[in-house]
Amino acid sequence: MNNNNEFMRIDRRSFLAGVSKLLGVSALSSILPSIVAASEVKDTLRIAIAKPAGDINPHKYTGLWGVQDLVFEPLVKYGHDGKIEPGLATEWSVEDGGRLLKLTLRKGVTFHDGTPFDAAAVEWNLKRWIGLEANNWMNSSRLYAGTDIVDDDHVNVRFKEPVLGLLQEFAYVRPVRLLSPKSVSGDGSYKAPVGTGPWHQATAGNEGSAFERFDAYWGDKPSFKYLEVKVLPDSRGRMAALRAGDVDLIGGAFVSPLTATEAETLKGAGIDVVIDPGTTTMIMAFNTSRVEALRDPKVRKAINLGIDRAAISQVLYRGLATSTGNLFSETVPYSGKRFDVPRRDTETAKSLLEEAGWVGGPVRQKDGKDLAIELVVSEEQVPGSRSVAEVIQSELQEIGVTLTIRSVDHASRHSDIPERKFDLAFFQTFGAPYEPFGTVVGLFLSTYDNGVDGKLFIDPEHLDPLVLAAMSAPEGEMEAALQKVYDWLHDNDAIAPLLFVPGIWAHAARVKGFQSPATEYDMPYENITLAE
Amino acid sequence: MFAFIAKRARNAVLLLFLASVLCFALVVSAPGNVAILIAELRTPTATKADIAKVEEELGLNKPLLERYGFWLNGAIHGDFGISYKTGEAVGASLKSRLAVTATLVAGGAVVAFLLSLFVGFVGALWAHRAPDVVTRGSALLGASTPSFFVGALLVYAFSVTWHVFPTFGFAGPVSWVLPWLTLGFLPAAVLSRVVRVGFEEAMAKPYVLTAMSKGLSRTSILVRDAIPNIAPTYLNALGTQIGTMVVGAVVVEPLFAWQGIGDLFLTGVRFRDFMVVQACLLVFITFFIILNVVVDICITLTDPRLRLQRS
Repeated sequence: MNNNNEFMRIDRRSFLAGVSKLLGVSALSSILPSIVAASEVKDTLRIAIAKPAGDINPHKYTGLWGVQDLVFEPLVKYGHDGKIEPGLATEWSVEDGGRLLKLTLRKGVTFHDGTPFDAAAVEWNLKRWIGLEANNWMNSSRLYAGTDIVDDDHVNVRFKEPVLGLLQEFAYVRPVRLLSPKSVSGDGSYKAPVGTGPWHQATAGNEGSAFERFDAYWGDKPSFKYLEVKVLPDSRGRMAALRAGDVDLIGGAFVSPLTATEAETLKGAGIDVVIDPGTTTMIMAFNTSRVEALRDPKVRKAINLGIDRAAISQVLYRGLATSTGNLFSETVPYSGKRFDVPRRDTETAKSLLEEAGWVGGPVRQKDGKDLAIELVVSEEQVPGSRSVAEVIQSELQEIGVTLTIRSVDHASRHSDIPERKFDLAFFQTFGAPYEPFGTVVGLFLSTYDNGVDGKLFIDPEHLDPLVLAAMSAPEGEMEAALQKVYDWLHDNDAIAPLLFVPGIWAHAARVKGFQSPATEYDMPYENITLAE
Repeated sequence: MFAFIAKRARNAVLLLFLASVLCFALVVSAPGNVAILIAELRTPTATKADIAKVEEELGLNKPLLERYGFWLNGAIHGDFGISYKTGEAVGASLKSRLAVTATLVAGGAVVAFLLSLFVGFVGALWAHRAPDVVTRGSALLGASTPSFFVGALLVYAFSVTWHVFPTFGFAGPVSWVLPWLTLGFLPAAVLSRVVRVGFEEAMAKPYVLTAMSKGLSRTSILVRDAIPNIAPTYLNALGTQIGTMVVGAVVVEPLFAWQGIGDLFLTGVRFRDFMVVQACLLVFITFFIILNVVVDICITLTDPRLRLQRS
């Protein structure tokens, strides 16, 4: 018994030695995989994403756009400045007054699983989304009439009526990109992300996803073999990871957003920051149906003149955003003639309010009522909008307008805005490739139900006819018809455009050849090479 | 003792029931309609009809009592429903993330335990001298510094500047160090004061004078006599701090990209994914309640007076 006790006894020396050995083995076990992984990192582009990629089925709306873009390709691509470029279709023509789309398919393309890409695959894919009720927000789906396979390399898609922005819609990420017909179960339900893109998914989880280069890719193959997207929900964490060399690329509105201040911080730390003018516009909306004062164009003009756009751009966006008086930036097709950016002019603003009958101070009154307005802000929906709201609040106070800021979360915004429970609210245009009609129809046509996005401004009597005319205008007259919409919005001070939201990316020094993507929905890996 | 444990267990069950009612009520009374978000996932421009369809499918248009009953019955059987955002079973998500949060909280608790004892002990050993002043100042600073700031500083120092630890990830002990330190730092600061003050009180007791008269050193008196005397107070404070660490996980997990329950809860709140929020709240509350019971039992075991009283 004594011997046994002797055997079981642990003295301080052996205890400490045991603990040291345990710690040593633990440390080694965690360092060894790092050493092995280091060789792979050299050939891997690591991109931070703000949330897990989710279900990237291209025919559903659940996945992260940028990740879907890695795996799945469109028939036609949306290039820089809105140019439609060949994708899986090498040639196309729109005939029969816009009712027929003729496509010539690229030869020699296969899906990641070896399934050939041909006319049958295109038809199979179209059947999974086009003409379905859930996709009726797209003109091509709503007006779809049928598909005819001419031969293995040619497909014709028919429509009941001419489709506005047809080729742009075919360049969207979802639900139009092409999935392998063999990547579904017997009942047709989606099984795995198998596309024709340069990357095929190796693993996916809550921590991120890993992709391997598809060596049988038809186009220019990426120069590196692996690509990883790593989930980093916190923007400070993303910045630290980039600075420490744990990721190579961050940024983009939907990939891993960076604010202007964060971009400046990274720049100050010697990180390469790329600023793209962007294709979305931040706009303040007036709800004339809720606030009587806002029905008067003079009040709207006064508010427009009360805002110091240059200061907002310089201070809050560190000079990275361009202030504007236009609905769209020049990078958007048919964006119209340039209007002058409204300059802050408090004296004119005050005179306009006087003319409109709002007098006195410090808060102006009319018929015993204060000129008090509420501004709805959702930081999640429009990043940076809270700070912009606070600046506008103090600026409008100077002209005698009391502004109350109501901050809401994503869910509340998506119920309040469509129900028009706001006086003023921030909106963002949809950006490429959805413009100009995505915004013009979606945010201004009163009869078009665009669900949770709500309406920026509605006037069934004056604005709707102009929007409808632009929608039905032939190609040659479209620009002029759209200009009439822009002119009306501008002349009536119907909206308060503030600034073009910049696309911000930052990358490690080993990333060479980075170019901003054509749209915020794409992943910018194409021209990248990795230095040693 | 058994009667005491049985009584505490009964109270815990009652508390859990009340808590479940409260968290259900809190979630459903929040503004905003979740059906809109789900409908938006299905089609980007969901119409009123689409939203109504979602409400019907998920029973969101049913009376609250019916919805609560349905949810509670499922929860008891481990079925927390389906996430409105991802479509995945909430129970499976909780299961896969439980180990991550448990690792974080356990590590944070160990850091808090060791650091607080060390700092408190140093302060008591050199009471009212320079080490005491320094540790007291550090504790005040630590208790006033929020976790996200501590985390950012640690990442900046150990990852960005010295490249010792990775900035994020859950990949082995090296990647656990910074999150553990971040989570354990604030509780350690608070607990070190409990230790220090406890020691001061204990050292003023007559038995210390007796021990000193026997020729025992200050260190051995602290270890042999003072520690058992401050144990009940310390355990009580430690329990509370471990409880707050679960809340701290909500901040620390996203900072280090750990996919734990804290991260799941935060994502759920953002999306108004109330199946996830309810389940996470229930897990948090259950943890608090169990922790309280365990701490109560531990205190009773370490304090002979309580042991006598409760038996």
